[in-house]
Amino acid sequence: MKKIISVFIVLAGVLLMLPDTSSAIPAFARKYGFNCNMCHTAFTKLNDFGQRVRQHGYQIPGQEGFEKNVFATPIPLAMRTSMGLVVGGNDSTTTSSFNINGLDILAAGVLHKNISFLLIYTPRIDEPAGDYTGSNNGANPSQLGALESASLVFSNLVPDLLNVRVGRFEPAYHAISSKRIYYLISPFEIYAYGTGNNSFVFDDNQMGIEVTGNSRVGFHYAAGVVNGNGPNPDNNKGKDLYLTMHQIIGRGEGQSAGQRIGVFGYYGWQPTILDSLMGPMGENEGGGNKTFYRIGGDISLNWRTFNLRALFMQGIDDKALNPLDTADDYEFNGGLVELDWAGLYNNRLIASAMVNWVNPPCGDNDKQVLAYSALIRYNLGDWTAVNVALHAEYLHREIGKDNPFKDDIVALMLDFAF
Amino acid sequence: MDRLTFCTFLIFLFLPAWASAGDTSSPPLTAINVHSLGPEQVGNLPPVIVPVDNPQTSAKILLGKKLYFDTRLSADNTVSCATCHDPALGWSDAGPTSKGIKSQLGGRRAPPVVNAAYAPLQFWDGRAPTLEEQAKGPIANPIEMGNTHQVMINTLEGIQGYEDEFKAVFGTSPITLDQVAQAIAAYERTVVTTDSPFDRYVRGDQVAMTGLEKKGLEIFNGKGHCTACHWGGYFSDGRFHNLGVAPAPGATPDEGRYAITKNPPDMGAFKTPTVRDAAKRPPYLHNGTEKTLMTVIELYDRGGGTEAANLDPLMVPLGLSEKEMIALEAFMKRAMVSLNPSVADEKPIPASEFPK
Ligand code: HEC
Ligand code: HEC
Repeated sequence: MKKIISVFIVLAGVLLMLPDTSSAIPAFARKYGFNCNMCHTAFTKLNDFGQRVRQHGYQIPGQEGFEKNVFATPIPLAMRTSMGLVVGGNDSTTTSSFNINGLDILAAGVLHKNISFLLIYTPRIDEPAGDYTGSNNGANPSQLGALESASLVFSNLVPDLLNVRVGRFEPAYHAISSKRIYYLISPFEIYAYGTGNNSFVFDDNQMGIEVTGNSRVGFHYAAGVVNGNGPNPDNNKGKDLYLTMHQIIGRGEGQSAGQRIGVFGYYGWQPTILDSLMGPMGENEGGGNKTFYRIGGDISLNWRTFNLRALFMQGIDDKALNPLDTADDYEFNGGLVELDWAGLYNNRLIASAMVNWVNPPCGDNDKQVLAYSALIRYNLGDWTAVNVALHAEYLHREIGKDNPFKDDIVALMLDFAF
Repeated sequence: MDRLTFCTFLIFLFLPAWASAGDTSSPPLTAINVHSLGPEQVGNLPPVIVPVDNPQTSAKILLGKKLYFDTRLSADNTVSCATCHDPALGWSDAGPTSKGIKSQLGGRRAPPVVNAAYAPLQFWDGRAPTLEEQAKGPIANPIEMGNTHQVMINTLEGIQGYEDEFKAVFGTSPITLDQVAQAIAAYERTVVTTDSPFDRYVRGDQVAMTGLEKKGLEIFNGKGHCTACHWGGYFSDGRFHNLGVAPAPGATPDEGRYAITKNPPDMGAFKTPTVRDAAKRPPYLHNGTEKTLMTVIELYDRGGGTEAANLDPLMVPLGLSEKEMIALEAFMKRAMVSLNPSVADEKPIPASEFPK
């Protein structure tokens, strides 16, 4: 452990000596000449300003049509990756490895007043198994190739009150985004929780249509119709539906100022019989469709540069989807509580602590999760459209109820976007 | 086709209809009255754009300067442009709002003339499109210079020195109102900043700004969100925003840009002033209600003033620490102040040198 810390300190030292010249979709920062913290509390979490820009289809709110479109700006491409040393251990083993923690290739911009797009492509990454000697002979890439997002946004169909997003996108029920968080190795466990016979994962970006809007008094709504099958074509004829409602109290968006409270609900269908009939794009008719739903609430409280946010969610799958006991619905719940703090000039320093938990039904006790995480991040330099963060994160996770499997992971990474 | 598919289909049909409902091509700049599509990176000011019908000549600039400082343009020989736009007071006045002829108080603060050449629209509410148009306003404004245009022209015609100079500059006589306005505007186009510690820093002089000032700039362009409106070389978008500024005690609320456009989002919105040289011209805002740069920063930190009904969507509380506010203040206090002699050290024309 001492060795790891000294490696980190040396790395930090070297990077701190880099010149301090003159921000996380860096393509936007480049377009405007902004520092990242115009839109982020600190790279990667959006602040209130950034949240409003996102709500307005990546346009500066109130200035729609008066800014450069994608043809008049530098090539609107951005990348993000993080790399570093990850050390993991449990009672019996310890591993340590330099890892590359994914690569996102992003393109985004305004095509025309009130029409904008976002593309996020994640290429397949085999490292550190490029020569097929890695886990499972390289059959388990560390990242799958996917179009994480490919969406068009039509903003202000009714000013502020109606915006439409079409394609694959991060659905609005992620009021606490799992994509734009500081954590690199600690997932939102409840988002990632999968149930036996249901291909819906709360964390996934979905394909479909979403409408959003907000009123001047701080009320926000969103509703969507999606496949509910992540990157895959739908596996049944019924479309999934969701609705979210949030209220902001005080000025701001509840990201970095103001207090936000809200509810979300998701109602979907899953087939119990998969027949072999495939549509032109690989869609499946499915058979014996049964319903499932997720409901929950979230809250985000701000005081100075502290942000406390929490989410609680309950999931229920129809008994026909219950792998344990077809006489009962599959019910689980879980949540997270995260406390973030930003300090130093221009929020260069971030500290955060988080608790995650998932309570599965009795028969699935070995999938119970309790996790504690903490991190410190330091953003180097006042750069336009570039960000390099030194990142140290610790995760302690207990999986299973009786006699849980415990592991501890430490990651010392560079999180980097330009 | 089930109902859902049908609805989706309808939405797709509806989208192009919506997109083509407005004007699909970007409107010409003059129609939207913005000097450029931005935000753009802060930096040095580009050369001033000179209108083709009013080219700069040194004789015209000098004539404009004389007119600018001459109180004889007013009804009772007491007020000149410089009374309210005094180089020694950051090209504004002591405020909070302007005092004109016979000590009459106006409702608004005098905005600075320095760098006004870069504003796409003049006045707090943008009612004048050019410096030339603007210059005609105060002369005939009953509470500013209290004159009529005709009386002012007659006065100038009666001064041989001016008659000769106008003839020499414009080649025609008699003197016209447009000529007066053109000469003043030509002079104003020379009152611009090319040199400030910030400008030197941008050109590569790393020590032109102190460490604290650099931190201030970082916050100005980051956590402070200032460059969302105060952008480009002019440190202003030249557009109109409602910061929730409360009227001065006893004053009636000012409609701002709404009075001109009758467009509801413009209610209480005022033109973004440049922050160049702001340190030299307290008090601040369109009604002079903030006494210091620090109280302006505190207003932004609270997410704007108390009149929240039509607050600009860009106004959000900032969560600035005291140190961050001090850095922002330091940046505006020294680094943004012009060192150009024609801006920083401009002296009024001595009485003996006015045309007789
Ligand atoms: C009595 C004080 C007073 C006098 C005299 C005066 N002004 Fe002003 N000036 C003001 C005020 C107040 C405003 C803002 C009015 C408004 O926005 O409604 C203003 C606005 C301006 C502006 C617009 C600046 C901007 O950024 O929008 C310019 C330029 C200007 N004056 C130039 C002049 C010139 C040139 C003269 C002489 C011909 C002059 N002023 C005389 C008080 C005065
Ligand atoms: C929403 C756009 C917007 C943002 C963001 C913004 N400003 Fe302003 N600023 C304005 C407008 C508009 C005014 C004039 C408002 C009025 O008088 O009612 C102004 C006025 C000022 C003034 C007074 C100048 C004068 O001559 O009276 C200063 C100083 C200033 N802003 C600095 C800042 C700083 C520092 C920040 C960042 C913390 C900032 N502004 C952010 C639009 C903005």
